[in-house]
This record gives sequence, structure tokens and C-alpha cells, in this order.
Amino acid sequence: MTTSTGAKSAAETTDPGNWTNRLRGRIEGLVPPGEALPDRQPIYVASWIYVFGVLTLSSLAVVILSGCVLAVGGVQWWHVSSLGHYVNSVHLWSVELFFGFMVIHLWGKFWMAAWRGKRAMTWVSGVLLFGISIGTSFTGFLSQTNFSAQWIAGEGKDGINSTGAGAFFNVLNPGQMLLWHVVLLPLVVVLIVLIHIIQVRRHGVVPPLDADLEG
Amino acid sequence: MMKSLSIVAEGPGRYIHWGVIQISVANLVIIVAMIILFVLALIVPFPSGHDEETDQERRQK
Ligand code: HEM
Repeated sequence: MTTSTGAKSAAETTDPGNWTNRLRGRIEGLVPPGEALPDRQPIYVASWIYVFGVLTLSSLAVVILSGCVLAVGGVQWWHVSSLGHYVNSVHLWSVELFFGFMVIHLWGKFWMAAWRGKRAMTWVSGVLLFGISIGTSFTGFLSQTNFSAQWIAGEGKDGINSTGAGAFFNVLNPGQMLLWHVVLLPLVVVLIVLIHIIQVRRHGVVPPLDADLEG
Repeated sequence: MMKSLSIVAEGPGRYIHWGVIQISVANLVIIVAMIILFVLALIVPFPSGHDEETDQERRQK
């Protein structure tokens, strides 16, 4: 090694094709410089309808945090402890808000045709989030450890088994449903939320429909 | 106390029957509330701490 060449950037001294450099390039190129956490937005973003994406995101944070507290107490904690019952209610009601905000967000994006201008993947990732979130709350209802959970499983089993999914997704198996609910599905939701938000920041907020016609 | 609370959640539920449409009052109330919230989000002015003019002035400086 020699120091006589002076300071060189990591990219110059190492093979630009090695995977660390390539990965860094990919991460840096995900969103244009300065667009990851911008502090200014075009004037048309000054409307309450644009707040619903972030409201959805914030309620998802409360859902996940309260879910983690429930995990500490265990799946039956809420039947025997008033604190557990409270945390369970926080979990349930933040889910209700999450879905309400998500659907209003969806309506807003639908009526402004927010898939315009190469934003199709933002919409598609949103559709996936909608579907997978329903699946996540379904497994949540199956994890209540009460008669309601049992009834839902009894009602749901034939339909789901008839699709063949019962081989690896058996609604009558509470242990399996709990693990789907607290591990697999939340991981997928969080991953797609990340992709969704990177897509939004990558393309910038879609201009209003009338602005599009004028341009 | 838990008992009085659980009555709210576990009552038989009231339903509205309207031809082929059948919906629980609770679900209908939630859907109507969401539509009202959606309309409010479109018409209630969004508070912004600065107007366009001062924005442009700031940029010129
Ligand atoms: C977990 C659920 C979701 C979260 C956390 C979420 C979050 C966000 C956030 C923070 C934004 C940017 C701010 C805004 O415009 O509101 C956004 C934009 C967007 N969302 Fe979602 N969203 C979710 C579900 C959905 C669904 C279900 C759809 C539609 C099927 C959707 C479609 C879109 C579109 C098209 C944009 C881009 C708007 C643009 O480029 O101007 N999202 N989302």
C-alpha cells in the first residue's frame, strides 16, 4: 500500500464493480438527491387529502408498537389483565384508524389518478398493501383466543381450503395463524410500505389533473 | 365494568335491510363518517404558515 497518491475515495481505490460499491450506488440512486426527506413541496400539495398517507403510516406505527407490547404479555394476556385489555384496545382501534385512513387515502389517489407519469408501481404497491393488510387483520382476528376467533376459523376454513392454500395456511391452526399474524405478514407489510414510500419520493407528488392538461 | 363495556361490542347488532342491500348500522355509520371526512379533507383549507409571495421573496434573496 502506498500513501503517496494522496486521498482517494473508496470508489477509486476499490473495484467499482464489487458488490459494496454497486449496492451503494443502488441505494444512493433510489431517490434523487435531497428528495428522501424534502422540507418543501409544490403548492398543490397544500391540501388535507395529502395528509392521509402519513396518517396511515402513523397509525401503522401505533399498530406495530401496541402489537409488540401485546407480544410481551402473550396472546391470552388481554383476557386476564386490565392493562392487557387496554393495550389490546389500542391495537384494535389503531387498526380501525389505519384502515379508515388507508381507504380515504386510496379514494384521494383514485380521484386524482395518481398513477399518472410512471407512478403505476406506487398504485400497485398500494393495492398490495390493501390486500395484505386485510389478510393481516384476518389472522389477527383468528389470534384472539376466544369464541369469536373460533367462529371465524370455522366459517373460513372451507372457502380457504378449497383454494388449496390450506396446505400451508390452515385457519384452524391457531399457532400457525398467530405466527403469520405477528411475523410473516407484518414483515411483508413493512417491506411494501418502504417500497411504496420510496416510489413516492422517487417520482415526486403527482401534479393535479388540470395542470397535466395545460402542460 | 368489563361487562358493561362488552355489551357495546357483542350485542346482536342492528341491521338495515334495503332490497338486496343488508348492512349493519355500525358499518353504515363508519362508511358515512369516512365519506364526510373525505369531503372535509377536500374542502377545508389547509393552513400554510407562509404565502407564495414571501416564498418568492425568500428565493430572490
Ligand atoms: C399501508 C398502507 C399505506 C401507506 C402507509 C401509504 C402511505 C403513503 C404515503 C405516506 C404517501 C405520500 C403522501 C400522500 O400522498 O398521501 C403515499 C402516496 C401514494 N399512495 Fe399510499 N399508502 C398506503 C396505501 C395505499 C393504497 C391502498 C393505495 C391505492 C391502492 C395507495 C396509493 C398511493 C399512490 C398512488 C400514491 C402516490 C401519490 C403521488 O405520487 O402523488 N396507497 N402513500
